[in-house]
Amino acid sequence: MTATPLTSRKPGLKRLALLALPLAALAGTSTAQADWEPTRPVEFIAPANPGGGWDTLVRTVSRVLQEEGLAERNFAPINVPGGGGAVAWAQIARDGGNPHKLFATSPPIILVPLAGTSRFDHSDFTPIARLITDYSIVLVPADSEYQDLNDLLEAVRENPSLSIGGGSAPGSMDHISMAGLAAAAGLEAASVNYIAFSGGGEAMTNLMGGHVAAVITGAGEAAGQLGEGSGIRALGVSSPERLSGVLAEVPTYQEQGIDYGFDIWRGVMGTPDMPEEAVAYYEALFVEMLETEGWQQARDQLGWLDAYQDGETFGAFLDAQREQFSEILGDLGLLGR
Amino acid sequence: MTRLNTNQILAILIALLALGYLAMAFQIPSFPLPRPVDSDLFPKVLGFVLLGLAGLLFLERPGVDEVPHEPSAEERALPLLLRPWSRVVITALAIAAYALLLVPLGFVLTSTALVFGLARYYGYRRYGVNLATALGVVLVLYLLMTRVMDVYLPTGPLPL
Amino acid sequence: MESLNNLMYGFGIALEPMNLVYVFAGVFAGTIIGMLPGLGPISALALMIPLTFAMEPSSGLILMAGVYYGAIFGGSTSSILLNAPGVAGTVATSFDGYPLAKQGLAGKALAIAAYASFVGGTISIVFLMLVAPLLGKVAVSFGPAEYFALMVLGLTAVVSLSDKSLVKGLIAAVVGVMISIIGIDLQTGTERYTLGTLHLLDGIDFLVVALGIFALAEVFYMLLRGGGGKEQPRNAIGSLKLSKSEVKDIAPPIGRSSVLGFFTGVLPGAGATIGSFLGYSMEKRLAKDGDTFGKGNIKGVAAPEAANNAACTGSFVPLLTLGVPGSGTTAVLLGALLVMGVTPGPAMLVDRPDVFWGVIASMYIGNIFLLVLNLPLIPLIAKILDMPRPLLLALILIFCMVGVYGMSFSIFDLLLLLGFGLIGLGMRLFGFPTAPLILALILGDIMEESMRRALQISGGDWMTFIDKPISLALLVVAALSLTLPLIKKLVVARRARV
Repeated sequence: MTATPLTSRKPGLKRLALLALPLAALAGTSTAQADWEPTRPVEFIAPANPGGGWDTLVRTVSRVLQEEGLAERNFAPINVPGGGGAVAWAQIARDGGNPHKLFATSPPIILVPLAGTSRFDHSDFTPIARLITDYSIVLVPADSEYQDLNDLLEAVRENPSLSIGGGSAPGSMDHISMAGLAAAAGLEAASVNYIAFSGGGEAMTNLMGGHVAAVITGAGEAAGQLGEGSGIRALGVSSPERLSGVLAEVPTYQEQGIDYGFDIWRGVMGTPDMPEEAVAYYEALFVEMLETEGWQQARDQLGWLDAYQDGETFGAFLDAQREQFSEILGDLGLLGR
Repeated sequence: MTRLNTNQILAILIALLALGYLAMAFQIPSFPLPRPVDSDLFPKVLGFVLLGLAGLLFLERPGVDEVPHEPSAEERALPLLLRPWSRVVITALAIAAYALLLVPLGFVLTSTALVFGLARYYGYRRYGVNLATALGVVLVLYLLMTRVMDVYLPTGPLPL
Repeated sequence: MESLNNLMYGFGIALEPMNLVYVFAGVFAGTIIGMLPGLGPISALALMIPLTFAMEPSSGLILMAGVYYGAIFGGSTSSILLNAPGVAGTVATSFDGYPLAKQGLAGKALAIAAYASFVGGTISIVFLMLVAPLLGKVAVSFGPAEYFALMVLGLTAVVSLSDKSLVKGLIAAVVGVMISIIGIDLQTGTERYTLGTLHLLDGIDFLVVALGIFALAEVFYMLLRGGGGKEQPRNAIGSLKLSKSEVKDIAPPIGRSSVLGFFTGVLPGAGATIGSFLGYSMEKRLAKDGDTFGKGNIKGVAAPEAANNAACTGSFVPLLTLGVPGSGTTAVLLGALLVMGVTPGPAMLVDRPDVFWGVIASMYIGNIFLLVLNLPLIPLIAKILDMPRPLLLALILIFCMVGVYGMSFSIFDLLLLLGFGLIGLGMRLFGFPTAPLILALILGDIMEESMRRALQISGGDWMTFIDKPISLALLVVAALSLTLPLIKKLVVARRARV
């Protein structure tokens, strides 16, 4: 047994990676002038099981960094599932100052603590970078009587028992997004009869079968379902401007006169009080990564949109998100349970 | 007063479990938004059903093969550590110890020790074969998980 | 005729040399993954996505589908030999497979599992090919109310699964439901029975309970009663050959369970595990010798194995025709396809027939590979049982623990595994059947969730379960399956008196 470091390699990429690493070192990558460099493999934690959004981000980033030979050390993807992320956060929070540990993050880092199931929230960790984003999309069956978002919202106003499905628990992303939309349109946030399904896919299946009147889910996940011959139709997306591809035909909330937006962002955070040099190193690394062809290809295939922010901006953004979410949760009566 | 039969003792234990479960069910907070069936209904129903079933079990006669197994003379002659119940207890303790030492000592070390130690304890005397098998199987599992499947296992002090 | 042409086209793709290699690699890797307890097809596929990144979409899906059905195929091996289910879908196989192995008939049990899997897989591919486009509608016709009724029907099997004492069987089932609802309640986000620990927020994983109550409890039981190292009967593997009457015995159950399994698989959310349980309990009720189920009846191996493989194929229907994932595994497959630039759904049949028909054709080939691969291996694999007992017991323990840890990376789950092992031992010593607990654990939370979802949609109106025809029909069947055996018993008793 040789003392190979913890690897993130797939069998097929192994040989390639072994070649690429020393080559990258020889070439003297451009980040080499940073004040700090990792001295051992970086543990890159997905606070969930393999297969989900966080896991995909972690594995894609690790793979691109390795294939492009950007990082001096491997990024080792590690899954720490449990409690919607809470298990991993509790573990990472104990590891203050460790510059070799990162994790993938998204709105649950704010929502789960607000719901009261995690003692740690975003302010306990070091923001490093926001990388990508997705948006919410409102869907109805293709033969639905609702032609635009206002039709639907009007129907909710008249009939509060109108069922609107989503892919996550009440008080979580899809519910917040829908409740916020209703509130922005002048309805009671709590008047939406939100039906929680265990994922966007399940919610959309129920929509196709006509078991719910509408569904709110991630635009990226829904993109595959839209287009010709599809059983469902999109009424609006939460993005500031129109998206591309099949989603180009979907009007934004703004276009329909509702001043409201919702981001499903994903980014990277580090252990509490991570040294500034380390943060600077990772920021530079991610900026460089976003430029590579490998990343852009993977990003497009996965339907992600670049939304880079550096650590400081990301931190401020997170604080603003927390404000926004607690307001909606407050309206729903779900805050600080 | 006659002695309680096995089913009656079990019934009392299950009834206690059901009561504890119900007590917790009544503490489940209600959801702020109106829901036709809230989180607490199902647990309450389950608790009461279990309580009722415990009552029925109390009245049921135990089957023939459910009388407690009396240790044979041969078993009683064994040293304490090798008696059947000791084997179960020690195995359980070994598993608990394994769980707690897995991260600090690493997968390869703890697993090999567990397999080798328990096989020895259960009476396997060919130490060489034992160690070789234990180490071999553990290493194959380790390499399969970490190198092929890309699943992280704790390494401990060994560079594996 | 048209589907025949399409199939020929599909074979043209599946028979390309590289694709043959992928089918073979997929089913081989799947078999191994299936045999290892814990590491299921979901994680295996998620971890494989980057491998398929640069592949031709049809090849990628051929490979990944191979891993999926290969794992279901291989999962029976550890269920039969070690009582440690390799994947959730093969838990029911251990009910009769393990007793057969203990009786020295491991070879026969494994062979039956292989044949049943092959037939179940193949029959369901024919269905997939012929009726997939039509079935998409059936899949979406199941809303929350219908799922509730289906789960109720599934739970009626508890009665037939608890043979000795109905009360004890029901207690086990109630406890199973209790375990299933631990964690965050999806309908409200409320924590239930988490005892304040983070580790229980997501509930208890099914495999932790199954491995504990079956495999670990069996090890404990052997330590207690088997005399550990002292008595060491050579475990005969037995012949692989089936007699004519045995073939006759298992053919109808395999046929019925294949069809049942396929349709269960088509329903999103049901899948191989529920399919195998439904197949098992249906056959137990239909069989004249139903009371020998659980003690080593070959039909008890054939039925769940045919059903779980058929369900696995069935779960491709919603994925390929609607583009919606019906299970965790197909969700990962969907993700992989999107990454490869293919959007499954109604348009795929037109846009990418190569993927659709290529995969279907490759499944025929894969199933044949699996059979040819597994049959000669049976004597070799079953040699595990020839190992000295002390070493075997220690190795079973480590297998279970690697499985659990590799799945959740949680020390807490290892301790839970131990706890369920001890509970399983207690259940065995005091005559509580374990199958009802496992069944209720699988169905319980889905039943609660769909019931509450249905009521929330209907505004609290309970008539929703009766107003919907599918739901009503399922509930009637459930009521009949509960009352018919009782009526039969009464009639027989009255006749006996007269």
